[in-house]
Amino acid sequence: MSHTRYRVMEAGEARRFPPEAMARIEKILTRYPTKQAALLPVLWVAQETWGWISKEAGEEVARVLDLPPSHVDGVLTFYTMYNLRPVGKHLLQVCTSISCHLNGAESLLERCGKRLGIGLEETTADGKFTLVEVECIAGCDRAPSMMVNDQYFEPMDAGKLDALLDRLSREA
Amino acid sequence: MSSTPVAPPPSAPPPAPPPKDTFTVSFDGKAIEVPKNLNLIDAAKLAGVDIPHFCYHPRLSVVGQCRMCLVEIEGMPKIQAACTVPLKDGLSVKTTTDKVKNARAATMEFLLINHPLDCPICDQAGECTLQDNSFGYGNQLSRFDEAKRQYPTFDRTMIGPHVVADMTRCIQCTRCIRFTHEIAGTSELTFLDRGGRTLVWTHEGQPLANDWSGCAADVCPVGALTTREFRFRSRVWYLQKTPSVCPGCNVGCNISIESRDDVVYRFLPRLNPTVNDYWLCDYGRFLSEPLNDRDVHKATVREGSAVREATVPAAVDRIAREIRSSLEGKGPGAVFFLGSAHLSNEENFLLRKIADHVGSPNRDAIVDKSRPRKVKSKTVWVEGDDAGANHQGAKDMGLSPGAGGHGLDAVIAGKASPEVILIADAAFSAIADDPEKVAALRRARFLAVAARNANALTRAADVVLPAASLAEKEGTFTNVQGRVQKFDRAFLPKPPIRAAWEHLLLLALALGFGDRSWTPHDLLRQIAAEVPDYAGIKEEELEGGRLLKKGDFAWAGRP
Repeated sequence: MSHTRYRVMEAGEARRFPPEAMARIEKILTRYPTKQAALLPVLWVAQETWGWISKEAGEEVARVLDLPPSHVDGVLTFYTMYNLRPVGKHLLQVCTSISCHLNGAESLLERCGKRLGIGLEETTADGKFTLVEVECIAGCDRAPSMMVNDQYFEPMDAGKLDALLDRLSREA
Repeated sequence: MSSTPVAPPPSAPPPAPPPKDTFTVSFDGKAIEVPKNLNLIDAAKLAGVDIPHFCYHPRLSVVGQCRMCLVEIEGMPKIQAACTVPLKDGLSVKTTTDKVKNARAATMEFLLINHPLDCPICDQAGECTLQDNSFGYGNQLSRFDEAKRQYPTFDRTMIGPHVVADMTRCIQCTRCIRFTHEIAGTSELTFLDRGGRTLVWTHEGQPLANDWSGCAADVCPVGALTTREFRFRSRVWYLQKTPSVCPGCNVGCNISIESRDDVVYRFLPRLNPTVNDYWLCDYGRFLSEPLNDRDVHKATVREGSAVREATVPAAVDRIAREIRSSLEGKGPGAVFFLGSAHLSNEENFLLRKIADHVGSPNRDAIVDKSRPRKVKSKTVWVEGDDAGANHQGAKDMGLSPGAGGHGLDAVIAGKASPEVILIADAAFSAIADDPEKVAALRRARFLAVAARNANALTRAADVVLPAASLAEKEGTFTNVQGRVQKFDRAFLPKPPIRAAWEHLLLLALALGFGDRSWTPHDLLRQIAAEVPDYAGIKEEELEGGRLLKKGDFAWAGRP
C-alpha cells in the first residue's frame, strides 16, 4: 500500500497467535512441503488476526515457521497487500491501472478522498476508513473497479461511490 | 578330419576407456580440459578468459542475479548468464562477440542508472568490481541525465557492530545476503521492498552481528557495505599487501596485512581453501588495530631502584651475564626459559636451543584459552580455542619441561625457584598482568622480558627488550590442524626494536653459540633438520601451509 515498504512498524506489544489461528496454521502446514512454503498463507492468518502485520507479528510468524525474521520482513515488504501499519475498518482500494484509469478511476479516487477528508494511505479519525490506490485488481471487464477489504464493487461511478460510503458510514 | 572351421575364440572386448573426470570446453576458440564440477566462470579463468561478474562467488550459491556475466554459447540462440550454464563436454563459449559486448555494456548502463558516481569519497574505490567492470566493459559516456534514486536514511548507517551500510551504492547482487544465510548461517540480511526500490537491510533489533560480519563487507563488490574500522582511513591503492597469518588463535587464518608507512590499516582474508577459505572472523580481522599499539620503544635495565634506558646489545649482555653467574653459582637448574604461543616456530626453537646450550631443563610455553573461534574452510569448520596462534609450534619446538625440569606452574606455585627467568614474550598470557603471579615470578633474582606493550610483568622486570610486532617479523606458525604456515614481514621495526629471534640470537652469541648471520630462514632449515615432525620441511613448500604427518591434531567442527 505504500510506495516504500522499508520499515515494518512496531506495535509495541507482544504478539502470540491465539489457539484458533494456530489451528488454522496447522491445517495450512499440511498442504505445503516445507514450513517456509507456507509463509504467504500464514501471513494472511496474521493479518486477519490483528488487522495488520507489525514487527512483532512478523516475528511470531517467523517463530511459528522456523524462519529468520529478516526473511519474513523481505516477503512482507515485497508484497503490497500485507498491511504494514494499522488500517481502518474499511480498506478502500481504488484501482488506477489502465482499464480503470480510462474509465475515470482518478476522479473516483479524488471524490473518495474529498468525501472522507483524507489523502492517500491515510485513515479517518474515527478509524473507519483507509484509502489506498492499488494496481490492477483484475476487474478490467467492469472498470472502474474498487475493493473494500476483500469485496469487489464494480463498475463504480460517483453515485454508487456516495451510496457505498454512506452505507459503510452508517454501519457500526 | 573335419572341414568345419573352428570358430576363433571370442576375443575379449576392448577395455573401456577410463571415464573422464574432466570436460573439454572451449573459450573463444581455445579448448581446455576443466574439472567437471567447476562453474563456467571459474573454468573460463583457467583458460585465461575473464568473464566479468558481480553476484557470482565461488563459495556462494549461484543466482544469476546481476546479468553481467552474459556470454554466447554455441547452439543456444540467446545470450546466457555464464554462471548459470552447467559445464558439459564440447561446450563452446564466446565472450568477445559484439552481441556479448553490447549486452555487458547494457548491463553496466542499467547498473549505473542508480549507482552514484561518488568514487572520490567511496572507500571501495580502487578495489571496486563496479569500477573495474565499468572501465573494462562499460560505455565511456553516460546517456542518463535524470535524477538518481537515493536512500538518504539508509546511508552511512551501522547495520552491525562493524559494518556500515550505504544502500544508495548497492547493486542488489545478494552476495551479502547469501553469505549470512549460507556461510555464517545467521541470516541477518534480507532484501526489503522490490524493483527499483530494493535494498539490503536487517530485521530491526537483529543487527548484522555474527562472528564473521566483516566478510559481508568483503563479498560486497561495491562500497555498499564497508567496515567501520577501515572506513576513511586510507585509499586502498596506497596499501602494501603482505601475506601473513592471523595472530588471534590457533586456527591460523591466512591474512593479508595491509600497511602503509609502517602502519597496519587492516587485515583481509587471504584465500586458503584448507584453512579459512575466503573468510576471516571479526575478532581476528580487527586485531589489525591493536597491532599498531606500542609502549616499549627502548631497552631498559634496572640498576638498584632506578630503571634506565640501555642499548639492546648492552641489555642482552646483562641477561647473558646474569645467566652465566647463575650457572656458575647454582648450576643449569637455576635458569628458567619461557616461550610463547605468540612467537614463531623459529623464535621458540632458538629459545629452546639456548636452554639446551646452558643445559637447563626448565622451559615452558603456555597458552590461555579463549572462547572457541571458528572459520569455515572449503569443506569443514575449523575451530580453535587458544588465545595465541602457535602453542602447537611452541610445544613442537620442545618448550616443555625437560627431565627434572620445572614448568611455569611450578615456578608460580613456588615449587621451583629459579634465579634467572627469561620470558621471550611479555604478552604470553593474562598471567603477565596478574600482580600476584608476577610477584611470584619476581621472586627470581633476575627477570628479563621482551615486550611490545607494558604490563605488570614489564614493570617488574630487570631487563625489558623492545620486541617487534607480527607485522615487523617473519617466520612460521603451526595451527590447530598441524599445518605449518609462513608469514612475511610487512615492514621493518624502528630501531632499536627487534624481533624476538634477533634478541635471542644476540643472547645465543653472548652465551657462546650461534652465528651472527642466522635469519628465520636458517632457523627453519635447522628445524627441518632437528625437529622430528618437521623433518625435511622446506620454506618454498609452505604456500598454503604444509600439513605435518602427525595425525594427532584435534579436528573440531562439523562437515
